[in-house]
Formats: sequence, structure tokens, C-alpha cells
Amino acid sequence: MAKIQVEKLNVHFEKNHALKDVSISIEEGEITAIIGPSGCGKSTFIRCINRMNDLILGCKVDGNVIVDGNNIYDKDVDVVDVRKKIGMVFQKPNPFPKSIFENIAYAPRIHGVTDGDGNVHKASKKELQEIVEWSLRRSALWDEVKDRLDKSAYNLSGGQQQRLCIARALAIRPGIILFDEPCSALDPIATAKIEDLLIDLKNEYTVLIVTHNMQQAARVADKTAYFYMGDLIEFGETKQIFENPKEKLTEQYITGRMG
Amino acid sequence: MVSGGILSPIIGTIILMALVLLISVPIGVLGAIFITEYWGNHRISRIWWMVVNNLAGVPSIVWGLVGLGLLVYYLDFGLSLLAASITLSFVALPLIMIATKEAVDAIPSSIREASIALGATKWQTIRHHTIPYSASGILTGIILSLSRTAGETAPILLTGVAVNAAIPNSLFDSIQALPYYIYLMTQTSDRSAAIPMAYAAALVLIFLIVVMNLGAIVLRNRYRKKYRW
Repeated sequence: MAKIQVEKLNVHFEKNHALKDVSISIEEGEITAIIGPSGCGKSTFIRCINRMNDLILGCKVDGNVIVDGNNIYDKDVDVVDVRKKIGMVFQKPNPFPKSIFENIAYAPRIHGVTDGDGNVHKASKKELQEIVEWSLRRSALWDEVKDRLDKSAYNLSGGQQQRLCIARALAIRPGIILFDEPCSALDPIATAKIEDLLIDLKNEYTVLIVTHNMQQAARVADKTAYFYMGDLIEFGETKQIFENPKEKLTEQYITGRMG
Repeated sequence: MVSGGILSPIIGTIILMALVLLISVPIGVLGAIFITEYWGNHRISRIWWMVVNNLAGVPSIVWGLVGLGLLVYYLDFGLSLLAASITLSFVALPLIMIATKEAVDAIPSSIREASIALGATKWQTIRHHTIPYSASGILTGIILSLSRTAGETAPILLTGVAVNAAIPNSLFDSIQALPYYIYLMTQTSDRSAAIPMAYAAALVLIFLIVVMNLGAIVLRNRYRKKYRW
């Protein structure tokens, strides 16, 4: 069964119909890139998957988003539980104005730690240290910051901050990670590091990445979805989308004649 | 009248300030945070802030009249410490609320999003992020509004001070306060004796405010150093 099954998803912001009848099925352990011109609903789409659109006044979501077999838009679903299982990395690095350690320890501290039997208990200091080290190693930041974990995260460079945000998302042990244009504020070297990391995280995590950079989509993604004006135009293997698009609109976008 | 010290006015002012702090800080800070975080840009909250901005500009003698009518007569508190401190809180509340709102609005929304996306509840986000990051701004607002109320004469003149009041034993006793004492000294017939006392009392009042501000500045700097963005 698919990890994320989206059925007839419609999103309205006041009178603006931002997503129209989007249905898509995302497999576990794959990287899916979401591409399309600005304002086509890419970000809106991935923000539906962890219900971040709930925060926006006047946003109305219809349809089903089934994650691990549960519709996260069911009435009795606890939004906080949904977000605990899904990590998110934003366009601009947004670390908390706290130390590097505290940035990562925050989520395990408020949620507690789940032990082998599935019981949740308060995180001990040692457990927090383990989680922080593990997350930082996983996001390839450990060697750069291990000597200054107590220093403010704001002293890091943009690329390091973004990897810190990835580490922070990994610390909740999510099954899915959503990336909303994670490299648009970074230089090419930092971007390359994030891309390596993405490929490294594949298999273990289901990754959705919104990107404006088509080369990036082609480099990292298994599947690619092309959105235009709120419609999902085409979804398929990345290679097929870039080399042999079925839809005319996709071809126009890929070849740079539009958007 | 020119005989006797100013212990009673000093204690009176300190007690007044403590009560104003006790009344207006929880209501002002928590109220402003609640409205900005939970009502956001809703129409009701916009109307609310328009009202608060106007209330912040209301002359203090008008608040004195409100206190006199509402607290002293209608609620029958009499000329008392309670009526005076609540009236002074009317002056301080809008100022504290506006300062809190500005400090909270200054936090980038991307930080709130980061916390919410990690599965934190709204309250956890407010407690662990909004309040600590805005604390230095809120503290500054509290100091400024408290310093202003410490020097207010009109509101307490109408609601709680009496010429020869002693150090109060209960909330319903009338009190003395430094600004009122200064006013009184400038109004007595024995000017040559009273005017120096008014100046001395004014110096003490200024000293009190400076000490208060220094304490708050130290506190504020600690927060500023801890959470910098």
C-alpha cells in the first residue's frame, strides 16, 4: 500500500481555488519532487500532508489524505499526532534562537521518548544527548558543530542552519519528511550538501520536495509531479517526466517555454 | 504638615507599584499574547487593538474619574489602596498590552511554524518560544508603563490618597504616595519650609524609578543575551 494516498484534494483560500481535485499516490522510501511555476499550489500541496494549512485563516481543505492507512483529515484525528510523524523543512532556514543542542532536543523533550515496547517516557539527559548526536550525524553536521553544541544556532551559516533544521526534523523520528524549497536560499555548495543528504535519507524516509530548480528534481527525485494552476498535470518517473513528458503543458515547462 | 518624614509616602508608592504590577502584568501580558496568538488578524482583534490604542492615550485624570465613579462609589471601595491601585492599573494596562503585542509580533512567524511542524501544540509554542523570545520587549514595556504610573498623581488623588494617612494595614485603608506628597507640599501656605521638602521628595521618587528601571534593565539584558535573533 502507498505511504501517502491523496484522494480528490481540494483547497480553497477564501475565494481562490488553490488545488483542484488532486489525487496522487506516493510510495514508501521514495523521493518525490513537486515542480511547477510559482503560485501553482506546490507548497499548498505539501502543507496539506502535515496539516500546516490549518494555521492559515480562511483555508478550507476537502478530500482525503491517507497516511499509513489513516485519513489525517478525519474529524477525530489529533493534528499534533499527525505532525509528530511528519518532519518538515522550510524554504528559509528557521532555527530557534537557542543553542544548537536545544534546537534538536526541543521536540524529544516535549514529546518524550518511545521505548521498545511503545511506551512514552520523559527523555533523560543521556537520551537527549544520544538523539542530538544521532540527528546531527544523520544530517552530516556533527563534525562541524560537535564542539559548540551550546552555542547559538544563529552563528551557523545558512547551509548549516538548514541542515540543523533537517536534524531537528529527524529528531522526531518521522516516517515522512517534507521539504518546501529547502535550497532556494542557499549557495550551490550548500545546495549540493543538502542534495547529498536527501539521497542519503532515501529508502529510510519517504521524502517530498518542492523545488523550483528542475536540475535538482532531476538529480534527486525518483518520481516527479508537475503542478499547474492548482491542477496536477502529470505524475510519473522522473526520467520519463523530463525526457518524454506525456502532457504538452509539462513539456512546455520542462523546456523552459513557460514559467 | 511640613513636620514629619516621608516614610509613609515612600511605602505607599512601593505598595501601589507592587499592586499595579500584580494586577496589570498578568492581565496585560497574557491577554495581549492570547489575543495576538489565538485571534491573530481576526476582525475582532483588529477592533480590540484599535480600542486599546485609544485607551493608551486617555488622560490620567479621566481614569481617575472612572476609578472614582466605578470603584470608590459604585463598588463602594471608598478612598482606598485597592481603588487607587486598580485605577493606576487602568493607566498601565493598555501600555503593557501594546508593548507585549509589539514584542510578540516581532518574532518571525517562521519560528512559530517550525515549532508547530514539530508537533508542538499552540500552548507549547507560546510557552517555549513566544514568551521567552518576546520577554525582553515585554519587560521593557512593563518598566516604562510602571515608571509612568509611579509618577501619576491625578488617578490616585481621586481614588485613594489622604493627607495624613499612615502606612496601610489593609487594602481598604487610604494611603500616601510620593507624587501626591509633592503636590501637597507645593500647595501648603508655609512655602519656605515646604518647597525644599517637595524637591527632596521628588528626588526620592526619581531615585525609586531609577532603581526600578535598573533592576528591569538587568533582567531584560539577561533575556536578550539568551535569546538573540
